[in-house]
Amino acid sequence: MSDQKTLWILGAILVLLFFLSLFTGQMHISFADAAGWIRDWIAQDSLAPSPKSLVFFDVRLPRSLTAVLGGTGLAVSGAVYQGLFRNPLVSPDILGVSAGCAFGAALGLILPGSPFGIVRALSFAFGLSAVGLAAGIARAVAVRPVLVLILAGLVVTSMFNALLMVLKYTADPYSQLPAIVFWVMGSMHRCSWADVRLIAPVILMGLTLVHLLRFKLNILSLGEVQATSLGLNPRRYRIFFISISSLMVAVIVSACGQIGWIGLVIPHMARTLSGPDHRVMIPVTALMGGAFLLAADLAARSLTAAELPVSILTAMAGGPLFAYLLYQNRARGWI
Amino acid sequence: MSLVCTNITFAYNGTRVLHQVSLDVPKGSFCALLGRNGSGKTTLLHCLCGILHPESGEIMVDNNPVHLVNGTARAKCISLVPQESDQIFPFTVLDLVLMGRNPHLSRFAMPGAEDEKSAWQALELLGAAHLAKRRVNQISGGERQLATVARALAQQAPVMLLDEPTNHLDFHNQYHLLYQIRKLCRDQNLTVLASMHNPNAVAAAADRVVLLEAGHAAAQGDAESVLTQKQLSRLYGMPLVESRLTGGQKHFMPVMEFRR
Repeated sequence: MSDQKTLWILGAILVLLFFLSLFTGQMHISFADAAGWIRDWIAQDSLAPSPKSLVFFDVRLPRSLTAVLGGTGLAVSGAVYQGLFRNPLVSPDILGVSAGCAFGAALGLILPGSPFGIVRALSFAFGLSAVGLAAGIARAVAVRPVLVLILAGLVVTSMFNALLMVLKYTADPYSQLPAIVFWVMGSMHRCSWADVRLIAPVILMGLTLVHLLRFKLNILSLGEVQATSLGLNPRRYRIFFISISSLMVAVIVSACGQIGWIGLVIPHMARTLSGPDHRVMIPVTALMGGAFLLAADLAARSLTAAELPVSILTAMAGGPLFAYLLYQNRARGWI
Repeated sequence: MSLVCTNITFAYNGTRVLHQVSLDVPKGSFCALLGRNGSGKTTLLHCLCGILHPESGEIMVDNNPVHLVNGTARAKCISLVPQESDQIFPFTVLDLVLMGRNPHLSRFAMPGAEDEKSAWQALELLGAAHLAKRRVNQISGGERQLATVARALAQQAPVMLLDEPTNHLDFHNQYHLLYQIRKLCRDQNLTVLASMHNPNAVAAAADRVVLLEAGHAAAQGDAESVLTQKQLSRLYGMPLVESRLTGGQKHFMPVMEFRR
């Protein structure tokens, strides 16, 4: 299949899933309903909003948009990290961003009287601080920068996980502890237009920059020596790509909680489909990531009467899928 | 274009590895860098192409000071075929060669039709066009080395550095690769500096030789005068015998009684 054809098919699947997610849920909403509301909106008829239109415009639409943006951002960040660190087993939280976000959110949840905005702001700030700390440790060690950065990320992740456990241990077991546990699990049910407004500029800017610089990722994946000899400044590009990916992951995790596996599995699926050339692989990863999280969210709110946290489904689907990809790609040379 | 470096000095964490090394590689010639393991060959090549930054010294390509220009400008003048070109991701050979076009592309540009043409030309020059669509993990070590040389050629830099290019290659591939590089010097006026381990391969391919001994350029000049039994015995710290093959080419063998 040609690369163009692959992209068109994936784009069509994403659009299909997006519409499916808008019209699937506990409350039945038909195409005719939606068409009517849109017609009224265009004609500027200021009718009182019905419960159905509120669910459609203020619950499902922002939620589906967040799922597309979140899935796309996480998957592309994973692809960037795997290329940058020359390691197909790296996921975007390797430098501690997710652990930092989880700690920040938990801190916000146990601080008395913190509004939800503060929880998210703390989550975002600690996520980026974790990456900054990992980069600082790597800079202080100053040898074998790529390897040391990964090790520093493990150190920071473990530190923030320990701090999160301290917060969980000291949290009120009847109110704060469940809130922390549910937040860490990751779910799209909290997503609103405020989240879309927060996430969209960061993700769209990040995706655009990564898309424009995707050929450089090919060169960076050859390692420092070859990248330098080909006229690239690996350090400068590493800082840039890590900053942009961490920003994307932090903004997603601070809005939706931790959603695992997407950043690890989707780049592998994209590589299986289109090959390792980032010029094709990055757009394929973006479309697949958006479609995967949309499908997982759709399943999370449709499979059972009570909604499941989406991270449970991404892990349940991602784990076996990853095992299958490992088996499928055993002779292809990137494992 | 000629490559001239003057008084290159480099230290790793205070340990001096290169001591005021100077060398001169005329345009279109093949210069071999011989020395024992750890003598500073790779360090010197990395200093020349900007991967390492020497404490002092000048690097001139056709009288232009490349040590003063940025990475992209330097990559347009000097290309490198590294010692190990391990690719984690199995790109196709054509994709790999296309990466050589990077110094000629602006920050956000993708390789276009002209770049593809240059990549194909590089592969054709090396007789490796049939490998273009194959993945680098599905070809032999020799073919992979040819692909890396093709990438350096696609870079269209007048000076090519090769770091132990015949490492891990079988007898046929060693001489095939050296023959191709020699041909590039002759036909394309490419200036080549290659670190090598086998004095007999050097005698077959090189015009000039630099002997590097513990970070010092111990001797340099045309291959005929530098490659002598006395110089090489001292360089490698072992007795050698020198003979001449029927074509007049020098041949060196260590004096060791392997079979007793």
